[in-house]
Order: sequence, then structure tokens, then C-alpha cells
Amino acid sequence: MTRALTTDLIESLTPRAADLLADVARRHKLSKYADMRIEIVQEKRVGAENGAEKFSREDCRFAVGIRVLAGDKTVAPGYFGQTFGKGDMAGLTTKLVTGFKHAYDRAIANSEEKLMARSKFKDLGAALSDTKLAQTEAHKDKVKAEYAMDPRTVGIDEMLRYVTDVSRSLEHMDEQVKYNSVSAVTLLARELFASTEGACIDQSFALTQGSTYVVAITESGDQELSDSMGHQRGWEVVTEGVVEEYIRNLDLHTFSANLARDAVKLANSPPLRSSQKDVVVVSDPHFNTLKAHEIIGHPTELDRALKMETAYAGRSWLLRSLHDTQLGKQIASPLVNAYSDPSLPGFGHYKYDHEGTQGRKVMHIEKGIFKGFMNSRQTAAVLGVPPNGSYMATSAGLVPLVRMSTTVFGAGTRSPEEIIREVDKGYYIVGHRIPSIAESRENFRISAQKVYEIHQGQIGQLYRGGGIMADTKDYLMRVDAVGRDFRLYPIPTCGKGQPMQSRRLGNGGPTMRSRARLAGLE
Amino acid sequence: MISLATLKETAEAGLRYIKRQKDVREAEIFVADNATLSSRLNYTSHIPCNGVEEPKSTESYGLSVRAVFFHLKEQRIGMGSEPGNLSLDGVKAAFEKARRTSVHDPDFRMLPGPSGEKRVLMKYHDPLSMELKDQHLVHAGWQVITQALSEFEGAPALKALGRGKMKLRDLGLVISGDVTVLQERMAIASTRLGKVQTDESTLLSSYVTAMVEREDAKGTGFGCATYLNKLKGEAGAEAARNAVAAMRGVRVDDGEYPVILGPQPVTDLMNNLILPSLSADAFYDRSSAFHGQLSRQIASDLVTLYDHGAVQGYMGSKGITVLVGLLSNFYQTERLLSDPDAKEKLGVTPEEHRNALAPRNGFRTSSGGGRRFDVSPSISPTNVFFKGRDEKTLEDLLREVELGVYVGRIWYTYPINGLRAGDFTCTVVGDSFLIKNGKLAEPVRANTVRINDNIHRLLQSITGVTRKARGTVGWAADEVVYAPEIAVSRLKLSKIAGYMDGL
Repeated sequence: MTRALTTDLIESLTPRAADLLADVARRHKLSKYADMRIEIVQEKRVGAENGAEKFSREDCRFAVGIRVLAGDKTVAPGYFGQTFGKGDMAGLTTKLVTGFKHAYDRAIANSEEKLMARSKFKDLGAALSDTKLAQTEAHKDKVKAEYAMDPRTVGIDEMLRYVTDVSRSLEHMDEQVKYNSVSAVTLLARELFASTEGACIDQSFALTQGSTYVVAITESGDQELSDSMGHQRGWEVVTEGVVEEYIRNLDLHTFSANLARDAVKLANSPPLRSSQKDVVVVSDPHFNTLKAHEIIGHPTELDRALKMETAYAGRSWLLRSLHDTQLGKQIASPLVNAYSDPSLPGFGHYKYDHEGTQGRKVMHIEKGIFKGFMNSRQTAAVLGVPPNGSYMATSAGLVPLVRMSTTVFGAGTRSPEEIIREVDKGYYIVGHRIPSIAESRENFRISAQKVYEIHQGQIGQLYRGGGIMADTKDYLMRVDAVGRDFRLYPIPTCGKGQPMQSRRLGNGGPTMRSRARLAGLE
Repeated sequence: MISLATLKETAEAGLRYIKRQKDVREAEIFVADNATLSSRLNYTSHIPCNGVEEPKSTESYGLSVRAVFFHLKEQRIGMGSEPGNLSLDGVKAAFEKARRTSVHDPDFRMLPGPSGEKRVLMKYHDPLSMELKDQHLVHAGWQVITQALSEFEGAPALKALGRGKMKLRDLGLVISGDVTVLQERMAIASTRLGKVQTDESTLLSSYVTAMVEREDAKGTGFGCATYLNKLKGEAGAEAARNAVAAMRGVRVDDGEYPVILGPQPVTDLMNNLILPSLSADAFYDRSSAFHGQLSRQIASDLVTLYDHGAVQGYMGSKGITVLVGLLSNFYQTERLLSDPDAKEKLGVTPEEHRNALAPRNGFRTSSGGGRRFDVSPSISPTNVFFKGRDEKTLEDLLREVELGVYVGRIWYTYPINGLRAGDFTCTVVGDSFLIKNGKLAEPVRANTVRINDNIHRLLQSITGVTRKARGTVGWAADEVVYAPEIAVSRLKLSKIAGYMDGL
């Protein structure tokens, strides 16, 4: 048997990947640019349900993605993606060349069809343009993963034992907890990016996530709750938790127990009823994590703004055309700052994106003024701005998309207790659950884990089954207090693209106060 | 694509090897090659664009082994997969992973065996789609774009707007979507099956959204087929036509309205609320909106809903107007049958309703990507048929409505308070019209209405279903819903995003 497939393979591919790409591109005379991404992921997953073992998996994925821009009279893109395995190792160079050929042939055919369409439709064909990439530095770099307990060496038996213990403890915690499932994943991913411009980046990530789902049923009601914790670190994330400046993860045991206790409390609480009018709402950092994701992160992805996701994940209310945007305009209260920053820790962290651009902090809202979008090299060229390194794929076999890194509401100066104390009558919205956002992100409804009444500055009655609903700009303009309690949380799934790519991201924010309609049980 | 013969040989040889291992009680080997080829579209008349933005493919092949071990008087089940390696080494590697990662799952009884039902579908795939050339993939995308552009160019309503200094391109015409070809080949061998089963299938879909953005007008076109020559870009023309028809849209006031839902909203509700709630695993974990309601009336008696994975024989049909059958796989059926709480979860004694738990929907699907070798079997619908008792036309349904709304496309439809609560919310994003005096009237402006309601109320308030249905594939869904138009006596609508008028 040949050597096992591991992330170490990237080490041996790195010296020849750039040369191979340059060589094969040279032999295809209409090729203008090409890049290649190779990724190997070693992953372990375990799950338990109602105190019993349920599954355990150990996989190694090896995927390749190739992009070629080519054409004679006009330039167009073509792509190729494939999952490989150990059996492909012997003839890997041939397979990569075949993949390049597919991407090239698609780009050439695409270029020819584009030219025909441009000449057939005189007025409407004018928009069909050469594919251009904004300039970026061709980096050569190696980025190491951070972890204490290596995901590759942690024992899968140990992982399974841990989550089964957690699940068993929930099973015995309260008879009103009728169902629980607990799962965890730990992985090490290593990615190689090479381009015909000379970039060659070897980047590794560790990631560990724990997830819990509980259903509590009581005489007065029922409640499902699910939540995830995690970080770009090793297995220690699950067993010990994380205490960092912005991330405070409890260990999975305590995290799951708290979730189950909340589910029981909620199942015994009265249902929230919708309000007919806007009310004062104070939302905590966990709730604002999803809010930042949905109403800041997504509409500031430039591919959406340029209509490239119209049929799928939607557009953005922040850009109608290149000459009609909200750039430089007030879209939020002067207290609101929001940005994306891949240097922040957590699921959204990276140094280089998937086309080799170094990730930068992108200011979206500064003192209420809209400042800019996350972009890729192609979308940056359309807008005529520098690329900011926000082009990411879920797997190397898939075409990257403009993706938020870690998109957050910036911290304010107020204490969260004070923000609540100032409210005569209102609601405290704690923890996010499920979002439903309008297509251009101009309106949102997000349900919360818990909704408390605030009466004369004090937190009172707990309600189940509710959240808030608001028009995005109105909500942002009415923010009148922002806390200093800035926190980051993981978003375990975010879907975008076709085929849909589900990706883990980071988001966060502080406590905020604004006005919105309460949306309760229907 | 790897040949079916190779996949079959791998499965046979693999099973022979595994059977020789001493501690193995049962085993199953699944070998698959799976590819998604897609021409992703992005045309914007007012922004530089590529037209066909991403002609691309992603392919994976490999095998997985599920094996039941007997170890220290304990039965253990394990699954291991190996990508890109169909040799005996690949089988050994996957088998060793299955052994190393096996678990003692007290709910696990045995691997799936034959159901006794005879297979009816053989060689039903499209050979042309299975061997699609790069040029054909690209051309399929451009057919959609050019048909849409021709439709826009010839639309009198747009010509009227595009006079003088204003050109057609200044109206912000958008064409977005894709043409996607799914290719699947698989072989499965098991100690509980008589001989190796093989299958190959293709699915072609085209899903297109067109806009006249200056008018906030959006239209949808879609096509779904099993043969390549059935898709000729018509979805592009349809989307453009619908976008033009949606111009000069109006807002709808807050309130409860009689509503007719088109095929896409019906499909969206099926994908995100109804089908997940009809899965046996949702009954097991008590998250189903239909918890404890098997054999009870859960929808208007006008409605019949069934999943049918073998269309020629209609053997998989399970009518659920009165909830009579669930979507299930072998594992979920077995564990519900032995679950002491099953009567409370289902509402009936499972032994008396064994047919309702028939395991016909165990697939290894992956978010719209077909059957993959490395995915654990789970429950997945196939062809879902939503039927009405009476043979109505859309005109019949409209005639009953004095003032209401036809909703042709919804967005981001989620069980906002959890599946079990049945509450859902979504926004209306296109293809929608006011209904006045029994006829379609002004278009509803895109993104100005949110629906907030409950699935139980909706299902009970269905007053009519059209005979004509349309095969519709949702985003990242594996099932095809043959969705009609349905009339609902009332649905709660809220107006949203008023500030957009002033931007």
C-alpha cells in the first residue's frame, strides 16, 4: 500500500504546483491567467443522542479547483473542480493537466459565445465585457495552524466518549428534556494556492466545533433549541472552552447543560405575542452576531451588490447601479460602526483569501455612514477599487464567492447594564435562533433564544417563541445605545452560491438598543 | 465518468473481501461517481459582466463501507469512506476506518434488506447528458442568456421605456441563474441484498431570474428535465417575459388576504417545512410540526401529497391528507418500531401502521449534489406530488377571489420558531399580482411584502388546487416537487421596506 493521504502532501506539491501551472498555461496560447487551489482536510466527527453513541467518522478530503481566464478577442472564465483520493496520487500531474484543459476549453467556448452575443445584441450586448482582475501582490507565504490538541492525533474514541458523556448528562438532567443530540468535529485543513502571476501560498487552519440540540416538552409548552460553539483551534476548544479577549466559549459540557436548562425554562414560559407597533429592544451580543451576519455581512458582499446572486442568495439594497449606491450616505445612527476583519479570531479568520489576496479589514459603516463592500479581484475591478481579500470557497473543488470573513458591529462605550436600566418599557432579546431576511437585505425577521420583558429598567418575564422584525435602515438609524461588551461567536452554516456552498463564518458585536416590532408565535 | 461496470466490479470485489473478515456480521459497500456541471449566469445590462459567469464542474468518486461488527458481545456499526480509490486498497482503507470508528448504537438493528418490492426503473438516464462536452455546457448557458435578451429586446413595454436618451440597457436588465446537469452513477452490494444493484441517472435543471431593476420588477423561469434536448433556453425567455409583466408593481397593505400560491411557493414550503416535518427522524426527535398526528387530518381534505421514487409504477406513493405515511429510511423505521414512546410520537401504534413507515427514502444525498459515496444514508424525498381532489384551473381558483394576492415566488422561507411550532415567514420577491374581481390585476412590487403565518393554518385553509403542476427544484434541494397552484382562504401579509421608495 502507498503512503496514507494526509495534509503533509501539500508540502511535496508546493514546489512544483506553480511551475506546473505556469508550464501548462504557456502551452495554451489564449490563456491569460490561471490559478489552482489544492486542499487536503483531515477531519473527525462524532455524535451522540439521548446518551447513546450515534456516529463517528474519520475522513480525509483532497480537492482541486482550477480557474482559467482565456480568449482571443474577448476574455472569459472557465472552471474545473474535482475531489481526488490516494488512488489518484500516481497520475496526479496528468489529472491536473486534464482539469486545466477542461477549464481552458470552457473559457474559450465561453469567450466565443460572448463575442457572438455581443455582436448580435448591439445595445444590450455592450455590457458583455472582458473578464478583468484587479491588481494584487503575488504572495509567497506559509501560514501555520494554531492548536494545542492536534485534530489529527486526538483519538476518535476519546471524542466519542466525550460527546456521549455530555449527551448522557443532558438525558439525566431533567425529565422535561425529551431529546438531545450532541456532536463535535475537529479538523485540520491545508490549502495551497498557486497562480500564473507567481503566487504560492500554503495556508493551514485548525477548526473545532461542538453542537447541541435539545427538545424540552412540559405541560405548558415545548421548546427546541440548538446552538454551536467553536474556534479555529484544536480539540481543546470542546474540552476546555476558550477564554480570549473577544471569545468566551464554555466547554461543551457546560455549554450544552446551559442550553438544556434554557429549553426547559422556555418550555415553562408563556408564548411571546407580536406587537402591532415598534417597541424598544435591547439585543445581546449573541443575537447581534446573527444580525450582523444578515444585515451587514451579506449586503456588503460585492458579488451580491453586483447582482451575481440575484437568483440565489439575493442582491443588496446598498447598490442599485454603479452610479446609484449608498456609498458615503448615512444608513445608520452615528453610534453604529460595522466592519469585516479576517484578522479577528474565530471561524472567519484567515490571512489570504482563495485567490491569494491578503485579507484586510473592510469598514462598512463608520459613524453611520456607508463606506464599502467586501470584494474579489474580479468584482473589485468592476467597481474600480483595490481588492480586499474576501473571496472564499467551502472546498477547493468549488468556485469561490465573495464571503464575509468576520463581520461585526463595532464596540461602543456603554455598559450593557446601563443600556437596560435606561429602558422604562421594552424587551431584552437574548441569543439568536433562525433568520428570515428580505432578498436585498432591506428587512429582517430573526427569532431569539429568549425574550425578556424590561420594566422600569429591570429584566422581568421570560417569553418563548419570539424575536424581532424590522426594516434594516430604520432599525440601524434608530440605534441609540451601543455597549462595550464586544463578543465574537461562530456561525456554523451559511449558504451561498450554486451549487450551494455551506461555510462556517465568524460574526459578533456588542449589546445594542433600537426599536423594532416584536414577532411572536403565530 | 467512471463506467457502471467498474463501479459494479468494485462493489462485488469489495464485498467479497469484507465477508472474509472474521468479526463482520453484516456489510454494505456503496461505490459512486457523481458530477455536477453547471453554467452559472450573470448578465447585467448596466454593469460590466460575463453573461455566462461560471462554466464549471465538480466531480467526486469513491466508495464507502458500512459494516456491523461483533465485538466483546456488543454489536457495533461503523462507516468509512475512501475518495478516488476504487482498488482493493481503497476498500481495505474504508473498511479499516469503519472498524476503527464503529459505535455501539442501541437503536441500530441491522443493515437494510430487500423490501420485496420489484424494481421498475432501469436505464432511464440520458446518455447524452452523461457525456456532456465542455462546449455543450457553455452553450446551454448562452442559450438561456440569448433567449432572455431577445425577449427583452422585443418587449413593447420596454421599448416604450427605452425611448429618447434612455436606452434599454439603462433599465437595469438582469439575468441570473444557471443550467445544471447532475450526473450520478452508483453500485451497492450488501450481505443482505441478493446481488449488486446499480443505477445511473441524470437530472437537468435551469433556474433563471430576470429583472427590470429600475422598475423593481422580477420574473422567474425554470425548466427541469431528464433529457438534454428538452432544455433549449426557454427558461430565460420565460423569466424575461415575467419580469416585464411585473413592471409598475404596487404595494400591498398589512392584512389577511385570500392568496393563491404558485408552484415555487408551494415547493419552498414543501422543502423547508412540510417535507422535513414528514420525515420519520423528525417524529423520533419530536421536532415535527405533525408530532402525534399520524392518521389525523392535518390538511384540507382537498389535498393529497405523496412521494414517489419510481414514477412508472407508483409503488412509493403515500397519501398524507390524513397523515397516513412518513418519509423514512430503514434505520429510522426500525428504531421507531422499537421505540417505547412511538405511540406518543406518532399518535398511533406503529405496529398497526407498518406500511406508513415503509423505508423507501434512504438516500445518500448532499444538498442538491446527488448521491455521494461519502455521505451517510439519511431520509430524502424523491418526486413529490401535491394533488387536489378536484380538477381545477388557475382561472377557477381566481374566480373565487374578489380581492386577494397571487404569490408566484417567495424567499428565505423558514420555520422561524422551530419546525415543531409550524410558524413560518418569508418575503414575496417576484411573479406576484393582486387579484381583483376574479382576475389577475396589478403586479405586486418585489420585496415589499412579508408573509408571517403558520403551516397548520395554511394546510387547513386550502380551498382549491390546480390540476396542472410543474416540476420544480428548490435551491440546494435534492427532491423535485410537482407543484400545482393552490388557493388559501387567508394568509397574513405585512408590508415592508417602505424606506426603499425614498432612496
